[in-house]
Amino acid sequence: MKFIGLVLKSARRSKRRTALTMMSVAVAVFLFGALRAILDGFDAVAAASSATRIVTIRSTSMIFSMPVSHTEVIRSTSGVTDVTWASWFGGIYKDPKNFFGQFAVDPESYLRMYPEILLTPEERTAFIDDRTGCIVGDGLAKKYGFKVGDKMTLQVGIPVYGSRDFDFTIRGIYRAGGAAVDNQSMMFHWKYADERSTPQGQIGWYISRVDNPDRAVQVAKAIDDKFANSPYETKTDTEQAFSAQFASMLGNLNLLLGSVALAVVITTLFVAGNTMAMSVRERTTEIAVMRTLGFPAGTIFLLVIGEGLVVAGVGGAIGALASRLIVNGEYLGLTGGFIPAFGVSNMNVVSGIGLSALIGMLSALIPASAASRLKIVDALRRVA
Amino acid sequence: MGLITNYNLRSMTVRKGTAAMTAMGIAMVVAVFVMTMAIAQGFRGALVASGSNENAILLRKGATSETVSGVLRSQLPIIEAMPQVARAPDGHPLASPELVVIIALPRVTDGAPANVPVRGVGPLAFEIRNTLRFVEGRRFTPGTREINVGRQAVNRFRGVALGNELKFGSASWKIVGTFEADGASFESEVWGDVDLMQPAFQRNGYQSVTLKLVAPSAFDSLQSTIGGDPRLDLKGYPERDYYESQSETTGTLMRIFGIFVTTILSIGAVFGAMNTMYAAVAYRTREIGTLRALGFSRVRIIAAFLVESVALALIGGAIGCILALPVHGVSTGALNMTSFTELAFKFRITPLLLGLGIVFSALMGAVGGLLPALRAARIPVARALREI
Repeated sequence: MKFIGLVLKSARRSKRRTALTMMSVAVAVFLFGALRAILDGFDAVAAASSATRIVTIRSTSMIFSMPVSHTEVIRSTSGVTDVTWASWFGGIYKDPKNFFGQFAVDPESYLRMYPEILLTPEERTAFIDDRTGCIVGDGLAKKYGFKVGDKMTLQVGIPVYGSRDFDFTIRGIYRAGGAAVDNQSMMFHWKYADERSTPQGQIGWYISRVDNPDRAVQVAKAIDDKFANSPYETKTDTEQAFSAQFASMLGNLNLLLGSVALAVVITTLFVAGNTMAMSVRERTTEIAVMRTLGFPAGTIFLLVIGEGLVVAGVGGAIGALASRLIVNGEYLGLTGGFIPAFGVSNMNVVSGIGLSALIGMLSALIPASAASRLKIVDALRRVA
Repeated sequence: MGLITNYNLRSMTVRKGTAAMTAMGIAMVVAVFVMTMAIAQGFRGALVASGSNENAILLRKGATSETVSGVLRSQLPIIEAMPQVARAPDGHPLASPELVVIIALPRVTDGAPANVPVRGVGPLAFEIRNTLRFVEGRRFTPGTREINVGRQAVNRFRGVALGNELKFGSASWKIVGTFEADGASFESEVWGDVDLMQPAFQRNGYQSVTLKLVAPSAFDSLQSTIGGDPRLDLKGYPERDYYESQSETTGTLMRIFGIFVTTILSIGAVFGAMNTMYAAVAYRTREIGTLRALGFSRVRIIAAFLVESVALALIGGAIGCILALPVHGVSTGALNMTSFTELAFKFRITPLLLGLGIVFSALMGAVGGLLPALRAARIPVARALREI
């Protein structure tokens, strides 16, 4: 502890160099935080998925529809306490580039199934009562400047819904009370879409609530058994498994982001290691003098490691805090609503700082051992 | 110029360790840049390769992709009768009515389901897409539940192999052949008879018609013939344009990601280069003073140090390109956000991409070297010479 002053002093020896190194570590940790946040966004969906909700889709693929009459069959399955359904609308808001999730839902049961969709009681009633009403997430509302009471029009994207445009009135702006609900989506009355669709009475998927999460898998199987060998065979999974599959369709993100993160760390190691080597080389004579005065080799080693730790640690802290403040879902809303808004968590800040400390220590390792093994006579003779 | 530049380049070798570390930092950035861009390039390449100048694809007006398009059965004979449609030697029009549906198949790697496109095609589809070649087996026989699968699907999904049966659309389909298509997106697809796919997936009608034109120049007249026929609410696209547009959303996303990551990463590397160059300047203060005393101008000092920094970065850039090269040709898969299906493609590193990587590294070197070079030029001669 008594050497802290010494460590700080050597870090301040070349202020510009220390600042530059700090900044490069900061940048790396910032990038690391941003990448982690993307991955966490995906994980959060799976983690926040309710264990009591199960999702039933057609066994072929979720783009195929099934009759709404399945509702009663599913409701009668033992262990199921509530059931609702939704369809993917796939409409176009002004331009195909404005992509966001649009779900045709049965308002009452859907809002009951997803208490995470937070609406004021007035908005909720207004939405349920208006056949052409819709609700939008606060993220989406911010993006397009939607306000309650606004009209919005969607062009039909999937031919089953005919060719006429659909007009909606925004009856509410919801907040997402959990990662299972995305705040960049829009929901409206399934009946409204169904009136104009051919064939009628079709839905995309069912969501059921089971009374006991431990029995979710058995209930799922019981539902599938009921539809086995019918033209509409189903596949039921827990919401968690369903979300995980959805994320996995986006490709092997873990590997891609992981390798980028690795490259980031290695690059920074080169930069920081270089600085430490320079710093030690500059002080060769000084170190020799310290050794002559009786500083043991171990202390010299620790002093250099400490310097690396301080420089990288401060840089890491700056980077981690910056990522905490800057990175959030609105800036990185590139996923088109597939994953909810995400930000850098406190956990990420801690691991970012930890990572920078690791970089600091590793980068100082070689210079430190070189410094501690320095031959005093040679070093003193050298003119730096 | 020659002498002083030579001096700077030789000085680089004096501090081998430092120079190497700086170059490696830049190398990593360039490697990441080349690799992420190679993904975007490969993805786009797979879709662009699917299109041919000689073909046109017809979709419902306003449809942005096959999945959301519709073509009525009754419209097919009208299209086939058009004079712009090329004909097979036996007189059959080279037009293939098609239907694309998505099925879920488990991936070989982790067993997780992935969306695979199943394409129902007309009997002459293989004559229209003449880049398709069979690797194993033969074409499916129209009118039977036989299918062909693309080479990439064989490697990626469980149970997809010659002779196996696949279950989808309430029936079993026998795989009788696998094909390749110069890396085009068709290699990720399953092909079968469109007339059997329709009932299997409860569809009435087609989604698109792909046809071979009598000549690429016939496209405009085809478009006006379609536009003039009130029975057709369709629009034609040159096939290549259509597939290129399909790569836009996901391709752009990949490019934005790559640029975001490399930009941030390059800032770190530039700081590293700055450190090295500042140190180089500090070490050689006396030498710089001597040079100035000999009459070398400030501008030449700046130029020389910039050259040193850029040279260092270029070495790094070259190493980075070499580090990235092994991923060329490696297959990977990604979800195409436009069609919502998984597309297999290969990383594609082009000479242009490598060139960009090198230019990028030079730029990092120049930015990193500028301030230290200015500092070198500003050193007062008298003080520099006095320095030990």
